[in-house]
Amino acid sequence: MALRSLLKKELHWSRHNVLALLFVLLLLPATLAGASVAFQHVIPRDAPVAVTPQDPTVTGDDLTIIEGGVTLFSDPEVVDSTAEARTMLGREEYYAVLQVPPNITDGSETNATFVLYVDGSIVPFTEASKAIRNVMGFWLQRLLPANTNVERVVVGEPNTLSEFLVPIALMGIVLLLAFTYVPYNLDKESNVLDRLRVESSLESVVTAKLVYFAALLVVPILVVHGAATYLGYQVATLAPLGVATLLLTFVYLTAISTSVMILTKFGTIGRFVNVIFLFSLLAFSGLAYPVGYFSPLRKAIVRLVPVHYSMILTRSAMMKDLDPGVFADWLVGLVGVTVVCLLVLKLSAVYYRRTI
Amino acid sequence: MATITLEDVTKAYGGVEAVRDATLTVGGGQFHALVGPNGSGKTTVLRLLLGLTRPDSGAVGRDDAVLGSGFQTPNFYRGLTVAENLDVFASLVGAPDGDWRETIVDELRLRREMDRRAADLSGGFARKLDLALALLKQPDVLLLDEPLGALDDVSKARLLAFLEDYRSTGATVLVSTHHLREFEPHVDRVTMMHAGEILLDSPREAIETRAEESLHEFYVRTVSEREGLGAADD
Repeated sequence: MALRSLLKKELHWSRHNVLALLFVLLLLPATLAGASVAFQHVIPRDAPVAVTPQDPTVTGDDLTIIEGGVTLFSDPEVVDSTAEARTMLGREEYYAVLQVPPNITDGSETNATFVLYVDGSIVPFTEASKAIRNVMGFWLQRLLPANTNVERVVVGEPNTLSEFLVPIALMGIVLLLAFTYVPYNLDKESNVLDRLRVESSLESVVTAKLVYFAALLVVPILVVHGAATYLGYQVATLAPLGVATLLLTFVYLTAISTSVMILTKFGTIGRFVNVIFLFSLLAFSGLAYPVGYFSPLRKAIVRLVPVHYSMILTRSAMMKDLDPGVFADWLVGLVGVTVVCLLVLKLSAVYYRRTI
Repeated sequence: MATITLEDVTKAYGGVEAVRDATLTVGGGQFHALVGPNGSGKTTVLRLLLGLTRPDSGAVGRDDAVLGSGFQTPNFYRGLTVAENLDVFASLVGAPDGDWRETIVDELRLRREMDRRAADLSGGFARKLDLALALLKQPDVLLLDEPLGALDDVSKARLLAFLEDYRSTGATVLVSTHHLREFEPHVDRVTMMHAGEILLDSPREAIETRAEESLHEFYVRTVSEREGLGAADD
């Protein structure tokens, strides 16, 4: 009863705030999607690259020598199996996999072909991987007795940078809604909170907001889908896993922003804290550039931020042809984060009741 | 009959006791006035009765009383119209559509304002809408914080008559106010507060006023004596 009634109120509210909603749900996503065409080139640095043996006869020394060579353009790491490294390539833990052929240092082979696997959806690494391939070919030819060749293999369909930016735009909208619009909306209605608490509960009010705004999130997703389709982008913006990840992300982020508002008794400070959260997440989630491009400290921080994994999941669902099972651990982790955030939200409501 | 009780309740904010050792029973179908000067703790008592604030010590009992509340600062969705506010809250409290809602709208003269955004209402109509929302579920106990604030004299007279009628249905009406004079002809029980303490809690007829002293004058004298300012012996 309470939920239905409060949802009815949200519908009334929407009718009176059509312009604001049009801006946030239609104009903003359309602008972000359209702005993606302005981005064409990017030169990344220190991208994570896996160095793997082609077969068991490749020695540790061979791998170490090659690892040292590619350090010039990347942050390499030896991985025992190419298959394992390619899975990690799909999860964006590596941005390239360099497969090393056997017998490259003992002079027994006259021709040696290295394979550099790159993911077609990791667009910021496209040009870098070509540069790495060229420089590596030159360097290996001088270093090794055999004739060397570096073959660059793109895994999956190659995407454009504009396409790469589409899931990022969607995640940006989720962040914006969660940390600015919902807190603003809650703050605006805090003057009716006493009556709502008498007739219902703070939990019901917050649940109604979460449900309603999560449902509204479908609108910008559809808008971006329409824009992407119009522009001919090869991005599956309506991929179920991608949409589900966006919604899940919205729920746990909104639970955080709403908790902040409740804990600060709906004060202005709560809105500022949420804006700080927004900018922090934009800076430390590795939304556009891969985690491996950052400094070690920033890299470590990014790997602790759930939004980073939400972004990779969303991008993968929309741009890669991968089995969702590859991300099972991350999905479970994000569901866990959501449960924890909702628990924090519940505790913040209890705190509010006890201290008001 | 539905009652709400406070038993030895103390509530402090930031180390300052807003209410101290308050014991009070609200119910019995009475027209009950909770009076006291500004800052005496009346609003805190109302919030304790409504369950909006937890006591630091003591107990609040509410049995199965259906409560309705009118707030000092009108509580409604400012972005919705009057009709939409009534619709949302009627649905929220499970109030049936129909006669009662229409009666409230007519009695409070809200009919012409139904399509107006609540944010655009005058102070008086905002107060009326707040009261209408409090009445939607036909509460057993109606708790009103300064209900006459911002109302014109005609509206005050109508509202007092309406509250009197509502009390006559068996409901309890508690008004918190620092202007006792306007409620004086109606009240059955008076609770006086000062500096967080209940100075007096008594049926109207048991209050011993001086000869020709009105209840309002008695209240002013009692509080003044308490403050050490001397009696208002006029």
